[in-house]
Amino acid sequence: MTTLTRQDLNFGQVVADILCEFLEVAIHLILYVREVYPSGIFQKRKKYNVPVQMSCHPELNQYIHDTLHCVKPLIEKNDAEKVVVVIMDKEHHPVERFVFEISQPPLLSIRHPRPTPIRIPSDTLLSHVEQLLRAVILKISVCDAVLENNPPGCTFTVLVHTREAATRNMEKVQVIKDFPWIVADEQEVHMQEPRLIPLKTMTSDIVKMQLYVEERAQKAS
Amino acid sequence: MAESHTWGPCQPSQTVSNVIQNHPHYLPFNVLLFKPPPVNESMGSSQCVYFRMLYHYLDQKRKEGSARLHATYLVSGKFVENGTTSHKVSVVREDQLEDAKSKMSLTVSVHVYSVQKAVLKDSGPLYSADYDAVKENLRNCSRYSAIRCADAVPRSSAEVLQACETTQAPPPETEQIKANHSNLASKPTSKQPKGIMGMFANKNVSKNQDSSKEIKLEQKDDAPVVETSKTKPAAKTNPVSNFFGKQAAKKPDKSIKEEVEIARTSSSVVEKPSSPPPKAETPVKEELAKDAVVEKDIRSKTKRLEHSDSEEEKSESRRMKRRRIKKPEPDSSDDEVIPDSPPRLQEKRDPSPIPEIQVKKEPVAVSHSDELSDCKRRKRRRVLKSCTFVDDEGCIVTEKGYESESYSETEDDFKVSKPTPKNPNPPKPSTGKKEEEKKKKAAAASNKSTKQASITGFFQKK
Repeated sequence: MTTLTRQDLNFGQVVADILCEFLEVAIHLILYVREVYPSGIFQKRKKYNVPVQMSCHPELNQYIHDTLHCVKPLIEKNDAEKVVVVIMDKEHHPVERFVFEISQPPLLSIRHPRPTPIRIPSDTLLSHVEQLLRAVILKISVCDAVLENNPPGCTFTVLVHTREAATRNMEKVQVIKDFPWIVADEQEVHMQEPRLIPLKTMTSDIVKMQLYVEERAQKAS
Repeated sequence: MAESHTWGPCQPSQTVSNVIQNHPHYLPFNVLLFKPPPVNESMGSSQCVYFRMLYHYLDQKRKEGSARLHATYLVSGKFVENGTTSHKVSVVREDQLEDAKSKMSLTVSVHVYSVQKAVLKDSGPLYSADYDAVKENLRNCSRYSAIRCADAVPRSSAEVLQACETTQAPPPETEQIKANHSNLASKPTSKQPKGIMGMFANKNVSKNQDSSKEIKLEQKDDAPVVETSKTKPAAKTNPVSNFFGKQAAKKPDKSIKEEVEIARTSSSVVEKPSSPPPKAETPVKEELAKDAVVEKDIRSKTKRLEHSDSEEEKSESRRMKRRRIKKPEPDSSDDEVIPDSPPRLQEKRDPSPIPEIQVKKEPVAVSHSDELSDCKRRKRRRVLKSCTFVDDEGCIVTEKGYESESYSETEDDFKVSKPTPKNPNPPKPSTGKKEEEKKKKAAAASNKSTKQASITGFFQKK
């Protein structure tokens, strides 16, 4: 057991790294499971000691990587509330929304005026987090059981729900990274007649995350 | 939770449903992936019971039509592929079950592996489902297996240590066994068995008798290690004499290599005769050059190799005395060289971690042998060769460098007389460079003749 402060360990960066790694794996797996892209472009990889599917397409991988690279600063500062993977049909109407609600414990927040020292079981912390993330991956793998099949020709996009002040920083980051972020359309954000399907809830010392799916009642266009 | 249930061969479906729904692996209300866990202390039942329960549950649900369930099956049996028979175990989806069974020549076992609502696209979820449970119970996975044997009792740590020690101490026993084998092999003289045994079978019995007499005389002098040597002399006389015969030379190199390696690894016989014949040394040393892996002390190995081609008497005396002594000179009439007989060599065969340096020295001596063996061996060596080419400036450049080339023993015999090209190497590159400089200067001079004579020509005009 170790008594540490957030400044000592820079937990924000640690949490952001862990979450961004996980989100990358989750996005690849969602694309594979929901058949957004042909299964031939995916290959089996290993993450958290379990097999996962990852795309081999370089542009797709680069897009996902750049997206999460821009999300990471928001997670570090606890400005990101949700990361949403939206699957849209040919008319760009969302048919499914995989919502990752992210929150960090208040003691770990840098916004706290006087960060309180917390006791962290450093020897078991990451193994427990890995176990929880593994469970989330498993749920994504078998989410086909509760979701209807998507229509052909679907695409996807990633949305980030942030605080209003964070958008200004996003513009700066956008200029630096040369990766444009724009305000999402209303139809991408809200879905008509959604059906809420919770998948997994994860609670750990460093992060809390909820995964649920919003599915359109009638997917066939 | 059905913790207090005791399960028989067949259980009612309602109880099965309760078990599955209440099991910690059951994912309620929307996702279901159930696999029989490797260990279930609460249930206290073997996995076979779980498999029957699963099948029963699946069958019932499908009859009811209440849930859309998908199952995976584990199929195991004999599988013949390209003439080789193997036992194959595979997990397949339900639509692939019949195909998998048809491919097997004999199906040993088929049972339900998992039940889930979703159609699994790959086997990843099956591995992830009970990953944590397997990790926690890694040492108890077989505890609830249906394979049982009342007599199978885990060994204690002391017994395990004893077993390890016995496996590490076979050399004296194996040496005696091989000595016996060599004795047996020496008896039939008409045939020529292959391998090591052939080395003991070619020579006459008279040599054996002489060697045995000499051995007896030596035995009187040397007290230690008599038992093993008794079995060895008779065997050693034949193999040693056989080594010098041409027919024995045709035996595969492996046998010679084994003996050479055994000779090196032997700890008892160390000293070598004062004047070993070069012919006898070459086959052994050639094999040493081939085999990169060599073990044992440098000094002891070189000496053993030199003495390897000694006569029977000397080899026997060497074996008799388990200490460093010089061997008598070998018989010069013999063509081939064989260090020690296999029994002796094998007991010294225990590897010790100093092999590699020996190899470097031996190939030098190997090259001097001429009449070693009839079998040709290809080796690679570095030879200084000169290469002439035209560089970018148009100058003819001659460079010398080492190149590796393969050669055979017969070729090497002719080349042995030639001196090794080590000494002349250093000056040659320098001469080559001088030639380049001269040529460049000549080229520069020729160029200058077409242009103005000197730079000062500019200033003189003014």
